[in-house]
Amino acid sequence: MFEHALSVMIFLPILTGLVMLLFPLSKGTARITGFVVTVAILFRGIEIFLGFTGTGGMEYVESHSWIQSLGISYGLGIDGISLLVLMAGTVLFPMVFTIFKTQSKGYYANLLIAQGAMIGTICATDLVLFYIFWEVMLLPIFFMIGLYGGPKRIPATLKITIYTIAGSLLMLAALVYVAVSYHTQFGKWTFDIVQLSELNLGSGFAVWAFLMFMIAFAIKIPLFPFHTWLPDAYTEAPTSTTFVLSAIMAKIGVYGVIRFVVPVFEIEFARFAVLLSLAGVTGMIYCGLAAISQKDMKRMLAFSSASHMGIIALGVFCMNVQALTGTLFQIAAHATSTGVLFLFVGLMEERMQTRKIEDLGGIAYRAPIFATFFAIAMLASVGLPGTSGFIGEFLIILGAIKFNAFIGILAGTTLIIGVCYMLWMFQRVFFEKSNERTEEFQDLNVSEALTFLPVIVLILAMGIFPQTFIKKIEPAARQQIVKVFTIPQAQVADTTVPTLGHNNHKK
Amino acid sequence: MHDFISLLPLIIIGSGAILLMLFSAFEKIQLETASYISMGFFAAAFLAQLLVGCGPETVLFDKIFNGMLVSSNFTMIAGLIILGCGFFTAMNSHTYFKINLFCTLEFYAIMLFGACGMLLLTLSQELITAFISLEIMSLSIYILVGYDRSNVTSTEAILKYLMLGAFAGAFFTMGTALIYGGTQSTKFAEIGSFVAGHSGTNPLVLGGVFFIFVAFLFKAAAFPFHAWVIDVYDGAAAPVTGFMATALKTAVFTIFANFLAINGALHKDWITFLFYIAVFTMFGGNLIAIGQNSIKRMLAASGIVHSGYLLIALVAISTDNFTGTVVGYYLAAYAVGTLGIFSALSYLAGEGEKRATFDDFRGLANVRPYSAAAITVFLLSMAGIPPTAGFMAKFYVITSAFTAGHMTLAVLGIVSSILSMWYYLRLIIHMYFHEAEECFETGGSPLAAAATFILVFCVFAIGLYPIVI
Repeated sequence: MFEHALSVMIFLPILTGLVMLLFPLSKGTARITGFVVTVAILFRGIEIFLGFTGTGGMEYVESHSWIQSLGISYGLGIDGISLLVLMAGTVLFPMVFTIFKTQSKGYYANLLIAQGAMIGTICATDLVLFYIFWEVMLLPIFFMIGLYGGPKRIPATLKITIYTIAGSLLMLAALVYVAVSYHTQFGKWTFDIVQLSELNLGSGFAVWAFLMFMIAFAIKIPLFPFHTWLPDAYTEAPTSTTFVLSAIMAKIGVYGVIRFVVPVFEIEFARFAVLLSLAGVTGMIYCGLAAISQKDMKRMLAFSSASHMGIIALGVFCMNVQALTGTLFQIAAHATSTGVLFLFVGLMEERMQTRKIEDLGGIAYRAPIFATFFAIAMLASVGLPGTSGFIGEFLIILGAIKFNAFIGILAGTTLIIGVCYMLWMFQRVFFEKSNERTEEFQDLNVSEALTFLPVIVLILAMGIFPQTFIKKIEPAARQQIVKVFTIPQAQVADTTVPTLGHNNHKK
Repeated sequence: MHDFISLLPLIIIGSGAILLMLFSAFEKIQLETASYISMGFFAAAFLAQLLVGCGPETVLFDKIFNGMLVSSNFTMIAGLIILGCGFFTAMNSHTYFKINLFCTLEFYAIMLFGACGMLLLTLSQELITAFISLEIMSLSIYILVGYDRSNVTSTEAILKYLMLGAFAGAFFTMGTALIYGGTQSTKFAEIGSFVAGHSGTNPLVLGGVFFIFVAFLFKAAAFPFHAWVIDVYDGAAAPVTGFMATALKTAVFTIFANFLAINGALHKDWITFLFYIAVFTMFGGNLIAIGQNSIKRMLAASGIVHSGYLLIALVAISTDNFTGTVVGYYLAAYAVGTLGIFSALSYLAGEGEKRATFDDFRGLANVRPYSAAAITVFLLSMAGIPPTAGFMAKFYVITSAFTAGHMTLAVLGIVSSILSMWYYLRLIIHMYFHEAEECFETGGSPLAAAATFILVFCVFAIGLYPIVI
């Protein structure tokens, strides 16, 4: 069991979820089963985190040949790039099962399947295996939004499903193209990402393949201008689905870019980097402005999440160690802060049957613990020093300035938008006059407080002792950058367009 | 002796057909018994085909048949698919005809004859044999389509199918005649070597091959000969439609691939033609499917789209080292998915197929969660979502297209499958996200339901262990 740690983490939740779907269980039992399974996964996740040496290579590797004639293998492994994404996928899940007690059996089962598939996506080192988990991950989301979502759930479901499937089918074509090119160059079939990174793609179709990959990930992240599914899906989805979508699934989009696009398409990536980082910054500004004008808290957080994904994506496109480390750190930081914020909004909705900002007010007087927790998560989300959000954003902006001063300054100054909508919302919801609705608001009870406490502590810990986390991810980030760009750092940061004609990125 | 064993499945099915035909003279034999007998014959032939195993390409009874029949791995796979489809169709019919009472014993005999024709078609490597088997198959299917003589749509369906099918048969004969005039042979191998040996276009061969392609494209429901499919699939009884959609398509694509693959020169000459046919078939099919409200009509249109994907595989087949695995695998994956839905329809549609449209299946998941889940699996497989067989099949087709250098075709195939998501998802949404308005009572026997769940298993088994490739 211990040598198959990752397989267990993938298939335990998936199989439990399927068994729950197939057999009649009461919803209480389903919830407790789900909780036990996610806690078990959490412990395995912590074990992996502690046992992870951070040398930069793949650890916990599992590899079995699956379809030999095409070189498809069942390959799993994690390195510094995937470690924190994996942690985000394991640490946050048990909360969902403790806080929301009213959902049905199918809902809990779908959550478990989503978790297993997401862990599979994060751990897969084989492109086909990655693709399979990537698609499977969408199915529980489809059912959760469609079955348990808000009043406009069916259009929202269709929008997110068709959007993401369109992206991933394009990715399928692109990944097949990559493998076929590898076959032509090296005379053997493989879908293993380490081997595929040796590929030397010519021009022509490679650009299209790169764009197909990028569209798939840009939809998932979502990167401007592919973000239009997000507000509807996040708003209509039940809270814990929104939580899964924002805290983990969006991060997998960024992770996919780092893991699969950058090593294979380095030249195309460098060529499009400025454009992509502009898309990141634009998305950040645009969604931030949109968030200010929202009346619904959940929708506001949805836009805020999209805005933050813009800056996280920006870190990838800057192509230097600082920005990449910042992105990897920010992935975990944002997962904790935004994830918790969505859960808080879900709690408020459950207690007061409304999410409208104008209907609320004065909650801080009724529920001081809740307000404190909310404030910490919110401040982490806007990047206050001392919280987890600061470290990641700081590193990303540092890298961005190194990469392109204009983009860096644009990103740095527009972070203020995030502070605007968050603090304004906080003021209207938690302070000001309470009304008859919020008079009744109950503070967090002991079990809820205990559920949230570890994550709140984690947010602070990540802000005060970031080195614990950074030292695990930095070697991998450095290796990734060095492997991809052998030319000096400064040159990468200065030249936005590499000299074409002779391939100077290759060893 | 080996030749005889290779031919054994065909012999078993043929004798089964004759036996059942004789039995139908007796009044005492029940309809159920007949379906069990036909299931038995299909199962026996399936096992025989499996045990014969694969081997290298063999000419069967070289002296007696003069090289008309050739068996290979590819024909074995096709045979297995056809026989499997026959078996499950017999199971579906057992249930279906307990609810809808217009069946007689001859139904099963004719189905066996149809399967017989299909098996022969997969083996044939010669135009006249192909024509004979094509007609055996088509005549049986005509009768099966119009079996319910009191039903107007069924009568309409058989009229359309018979008229157009007869034209296709005539085209085929015409093509054969022209090719024989041009090459002095009707054998695929000799036609191939003639085309390879003579540079420049021979008008007789050109015309002949064109006519034969027309016939194949008609039978395979490819653009621009796809219009009949919708009405014919809609008019036939659900098990028959399932049989047509899967087994018949398998047989036709097998001979089509064999005919194309026999010679690189022929394949090369027609590749542009096939390219456009494939593209128009996919997109035409999608446009038709998006507008449909009836499930059977939607499935018919989606069958057109799948023909388009199979045509991609045909464009991309390598003629030097033809194994047909991609085509075979795609056919298998398509067959389990499609047949599965028709199995589910066989017991869910009710008396006189009263539940036919998307709206009729609203809320199925609340009342019959397992059936709804099974249909969802089939739809996802047809849409090509992993980890189902449909995904692997699509993956292989795309891979083969890229390997053969047809990037545009591969990308267009992907775009087409994005379009097709809409109508597959639509049925899932109707089943899951709406409240049930009725109780979905079903009658008949549990055999069709059993077939459905076996096929669900097959979808995953074929998807996760693609042994064929």
